Amino acid sequence: MLYINDLTKNYGSFTAVNHLSLHIPEGDLFGFVGPNGAGKTTTIRIVCGLLRASGGSVRIGSTAAAVGSRAMKRMIGYVPDFFGVYDNLKVREYMDLYGSMYGMYSRDIAKLTDDLLELVNLSDKKEVYVDTLSRGMKQRLCVARALLHNPSLLILDEPNSGLDPRARVEMKELLKNLHSMGKTIVISSHILSELSEMCNSIGIMNHGQLITAGKIEDIMQQVAGGKRMHIQVASGMESAVRIMKEQAGARIESVRENEIIILFGGADEEISALIGRMIQEQVVLTGFYREEGSLESLFMQLTGGGEQ
Amino acid sequence: MRLRWNPIVRKDLQVTARSMRLSWGLFAYETVLTITFLLALAVIQQMSRGFYSGSNVYGYLIYLFPALSIAQVCIVALIVPVITASAISGEKERQTFDIMLTTCMSPFSIVSGKVMSAMLRILFFVAAGMPIMALAFVVGGLSWSYLLYFVLTIILLSLLSGSIGILCSAFCRRSITAVIISYVFYFVIYGLTFLPMLLRTFFSRNGYAGESMLLLLFNPIVFYEEFFMQLMAGESIFGGDGSHFTRSEVGFLTYHLAQGRVWMFLSAACIFLLAFLFLLAAAWKVNPMHSSSGRRRKER
Repeated sequence: MLYINDLTKNYGSFTAVNHLSLHIPEGDLFGFVGPNGAGKTTTIRIVCGLLRASGGSVRIGSTAAAVGSRAMKRMIGYVPDFFGVYDNLKVREYMDLYGSMYGMYSRDIAKLTDDLLELVNLSDKKEVYVDTLSRGMKQRLCVARALLHNPSLLILDEPNSGLDPRARVEMKELLKNLHSMGKTIVISSHILSELSEMCNSIGIMNHGQLITAGKIEDIMQQVAGGKRMHIQVASGMESAVRIMKEQAGARIESVRENEIIILFGGADEEISALIGRMIQEQVVLTGFYREEGSLESLFMQLTGGGEQ
Repeated sequence: MRLRWNPIVRKDLQVTARSMRLSWGLFAYETVLTITFLLALAVIQQMSRGFYSGSNVYGYLIYLFPALSIAQVCIVALIVPVITASAISGEKERQTFDIMLTTCMSPFSIVSGKVMSAMLRILFFVAAGMPIMALAFVVGGLSWSYLLYFVLTIILLSLLSGSIGILCSAFCRRSITAVIISYVFYFVIYGLTFLPMLLRTFFSRNGYAGESMLLLLFNPIVFYEEFFMQLMAGESIFGGDGSHFTRSEVGFLTYHLAQGRVWMFLSAACIFLLAFLFLLAAAWKVNPMHSSSGRRRKER
């Protein structure tokens, strides 16, 4: 669906996006993660035609339309991290304004507005002035506005920033709903726990470069040092430590009184063999568990503990 | 094919019509026009009683038209830059401009829509001033066609003022800066077009302006002076039948362009061209694909 090839953006001597290449398949709910200044917003703005790239190319689907062209704009629905409102404009008129900006006729806009407002749960606010809506409602209205011209790709830049917990849940449900309808969605967000719940793939950026991208499970697997495992030992601690040191692919992170924490990237069979060997060498184990990798820990590892 | 409104014009008019600012603006406009009318009437009464009058008051009432027209021209020249100078920068401040740019509207449609909505608002003001203007026609004995010409010149002036405002708005991030710069730009245009003529007159041996006066084709003040001169006296300010300048004083081209109403129409075309160029420059500036890399945005 979205092909970004060797994208670069320079501001004088500063490189905001550095030779970024990325492919987001159709139907994906893709999370764009990175610390402040990583280049996420710059990348999104280039894709939406709001910024000229210094190099590289962006393509959506099989079309050869240039970034910023009318054909490309028709394929993208953009929801920015802010919500600007016009005083004295009702929800229906707001939708009508943006629909007509896409060259749609009022009759078609009116029909679609009803459907979309129902989708974002704002049907009862149709005749209400936009500036009187809550922030969460405004953000959902913004999503409805971005869907008005039926884009193939929906891009949301920090859609949950400044929203209260209830509005966040509503937004998350809305995005999941849209994903289940087959829309390709790209979200940039700081709230990693929500991204891990929603997205099926992610891309992590730092200092303008894409560190990694792909399915969340695959990335978790790839991360250097592997999965963190806690092994609780009742007796034979010395033997246990020796076995860990000898085990290829394992790295001892810490040794406490009754517990060894290791990072091990091996497969399940290798873990079984490791436990078997410890039992054979008379190590008495009282517990063993593997930490479930979180997006937060992954993010911190990959960005070197950078600011979230 | 169905003709459609520019969505920005429709939205701006919708939003403006619901605002109290429009009502107060109309009130102020009508007040200024009424005061001008009464002052002009008082001056005309004084003139008709004077030693040199030689006729009754009705002979002078024709001057109500230029008095009211000039008052309206001045108001339009002051108001339009305020409306358009805050148009693009206002959208940026409201954070709606980026969304607008991601739609299928071209940058030229956006800037021309903004100027058009300002022009329509001004025409609304002019229409509201018609009853007062009508008094000048009823008692002044002028043809209604003069009113049509006047409205056309107002459209032209508001196009120029609007395009200057929108150009400044495209370059400035803050509305207040754009308004100030557009007034400066406005007066620079008026002043600069006079400058070659003044320099030539000052430094030449015979004190003649020559062809340097051609630059005045772009000057709206001179355009209005010519317009009223043609309408009231049927002659040009540069030459022609009631020649103020000789052929050697103004140069061959200027002298011939000043015959009949050629200068007035040519000046209107030049002002229109200038306004169009400003609109193109503004559209170029707001187009993210054309403008330079710009400032670095705060990244997340």
